[in-house]
Amino acid sequence: MRLSDANAGETYAVKDVVTGDQEMEAFLFRLGCYSGEPITVISKRRNGCVVAIKDGRYNLDKYISSAIIV
Amino acid sequence: MRVAFAGNPNSGKTTLFNALTGRNEKVGNWAGVTVGKKEGRFKVEYGEDNIAVDLPGAYSMSPFTPEESITSGYIREENPDVIINIVDATNLSRSLFFTTQLLEMNIPVIVALNKVDINKKEGVEIDVKALSQKLGCPVIETVSNDAKHKGLREIASAIRLAGKGQVAPFVQSDIDLHDKDAVDKADRARFAFVNSIVREVEKRKVKSSESTFADKLDALITNPIAGIIIFAGVMWAVFAISQTYLGPWIADYLVGWIEAFQGLVEGWTANAPAIVQTLLAEGIVGGVGAVVGFLPLIMVMFFLIALLEDCGYMARVTAVMDPIFKRVGLSGKSIITMIIGTGCGVPAIMSTRTIRDERERRAITMLTTWIPCGAKVPVIALFAGAFFAGASWVSLVSYITGVVLIFLGALLIKAVTGFKYRKSFFIMELPKWSVPSLKRAFFSMMDRAKAYIIKAATIILICNCVVTIMANFNWHFQIVAEDAQDTSILASIASPFAVLLIPLGFGAWQLAAAAITGFIAKENVVGTIAVVYGITRFIDTEELAMTGGANEIAVAMGLTSVTAIAYLFFNLFTPPCFAAIGAMNAEMQHKGWLWSAIGLQLCTGYAVAFLINQIGTLVTTGSLAAGFIPGLIAIIVMVIITVMISMKIRKNFDKQYQLHDKSVLGVTR
Repeated sequence: MRLSDANAGETYAVKDVVTGDQEMEAFLFRLGCYSGEPITVISKRRNGCVVAIKDGRYNLDKYISSAIIV
Repeated sequence: MRVAFAGNPNSGKTTLFNALTGRNEKVGNWAGVTVGKKEGRFKVEYGEDNIAVDLPGAYSMSPFTPEESITSGYIREENPDVIINIVDATNLSRSLFFTTQLLEMNIPVIVALNKVDINKKEGVEIDVKALSQKLGCPVIETVSNDAKHKGLREIASAIRLAGKGQVAPFVQSDIDLHDKDAVDKADRARFAFVNSIVREVEKRKVKSSESTFADKLDALITNPIAGIIIFAGVMWAVFAISQTYLGPWIADYLVGWIEAFQGLVEGWTANAPAIVQTLLAEGIVGGVGAVVGFLPLIMVMFFLIALLEDCGYMARVTAVMDPIFKRVGLSGKSIITMIIGTGCGVPAIMSTRTIRDERERRAITMLTTWIPCGAKVPVIALFAGAFFAGASWVSLVSYITGVVLIFLGALLIKAVTGFKYRKSFFIMELPKWSVPSLKRAFFSMMDRAKAYIIKAATIILICNCVVTIMANFNWHFQIVAEDAQDTSILASIASPFAVLLIPLGFGAWQLAAAAITGFIAKENVVGTIAVVYGITRFIDTEELAMTGGANEIAVAMGLTSVTAIAYLFFNLFTPPCFAAIGAMNAEMQHKGWLWSAIGLQLCTGYAVAFLINQIGTLVTTGSLAAGFIPGLIAIIVMVIITVMISMKIRKNFDKQYQLHDKSVLGVTR
């Protein structure tokens, strides 16, 4: 499922990241967002969400959150 | 020795740099404050032969943004003698990825484990000794924003010993760097290595993915509706405190001192020739004093903005604004640019560098100076004081109009350039909230105050002297008579421009001259008006300039309340000062965009003033103001030019789009 459809407060394992933008994927990788790694949805909004990756918090817009498959 | 400061964004590099060098570079609690590299000499107690080089934050040696490429480029090509790798101790697992890459560069590395105070508070323990052993380099705990300068001396002594026995703990296997899968595999191996270190050296009481009170606060602040209300409230508070309450209150005292000084000057020059008296009383004390009188308002504003930048709120605002900005084709990060722009347009324009998409970046660079900056505050205050009894709505309407124009301008840019670009992804790290440092806000404020006073004492002073001379002499270098100012040099130069301004409701050469000097520095508008109308005393009494009873100025300037607003907005929304235009040129790196920006700003200033004057006059008097037809023709010409530019761009669209894409993928600077 897409991360944008995931539930707040739950931790998922990233299965794939498909943004169609290699640089963006490389960037997400360096933050620790790549297949096999855990990602936690902290809160959700209509237009995006806040997630925990490793020990940091990030705000993602709906394009990125729907490109992350968990 | 050259010591490079490298580390993840918002790990505290610039704060540490400032502490070690005694400099006062811009800091803030969000990722991407530092743009470009900055150099500074270490303080004596930390070894003054060392040159510190502060670099923009980077997550790795392979750059994602132009800013990151400055960092990796510097480390690869400039061979610094030592790297201080600032590691955010609260996010060790992410930071060490970059650390292990730096350790491969064959340059001595010292790890500054920063923000250990936050870890202590949150019950996170890091075994520094073990970490140092595993990395094979010194690891020093620091708290860069700590008054006691924890760890700085240790860093200084580590620099002297740097590099002894350093062996890279992880070496990337020899792979083809063009093979995406191979690189991916190597990076995974590196992260796995980092994770194995972190598992051994770090103990967390609470898992970092657990929701805390701060997360609930964030959810509220980034909520699409509540977030905007909160943001509006915060900005209203900043402006109300600086421009209505605290700022003017302090200004009262300052104006008292200026008055006393003016009395002294009058005493000194009592026997001097008339021109010297005029120059001193009108040009210097009148013009420059008029500008300096507003200093407290600007200082209070900078203080409050520094607090905002320091606490962690800025990153949250980008999250709130991104969906709205996206609709008009701007990045959410534009809001940071706009907030910085309330202080000064130049750093605002520089802050656009962290926006990844080139078109989004250029669009906000083009538009951001419509947010009235600190230099425009005196102009707004003068008009609010002279024509509207100091009503605070004038200022409020100015800012709101600026924001509305930015949105409209962004839509226009989107329409003209053609809405066909790749998806605009938006990701922003939400840093931990922190109590803003009053000391740092104070220094930031004093820094800006110093710059403001220097500007007043140099550029504005010179401009005022020149304007005073030009307004008092004719082309035969004779002093013009009191009632024959229209024969002065200034009048003859400014009059042709004034004709163009008749449709806007202010065709007087004095006002044209003031608007022109405003391009040198916006404060000049106030200074020049003071000089050309000989209102040397208009900041003498606080009431006159800021709280009403200013009929004298209003009558002298021959403006109605409608044309006063038109003139004010003309000055706010025409191109900014030359310094800001220079910054625009540097950031855009494209003559076409630069000239479009200047053209757009000229047209907008003209069109806004035209509409206010004509509609306002129609409403108040029942008939259109003078020059409606010529003004309308001018506006129509502007529209036609815009449409033509748009058609030209669309015609070359495929070619344009390819170029655009290439420049995004390649390194643009």
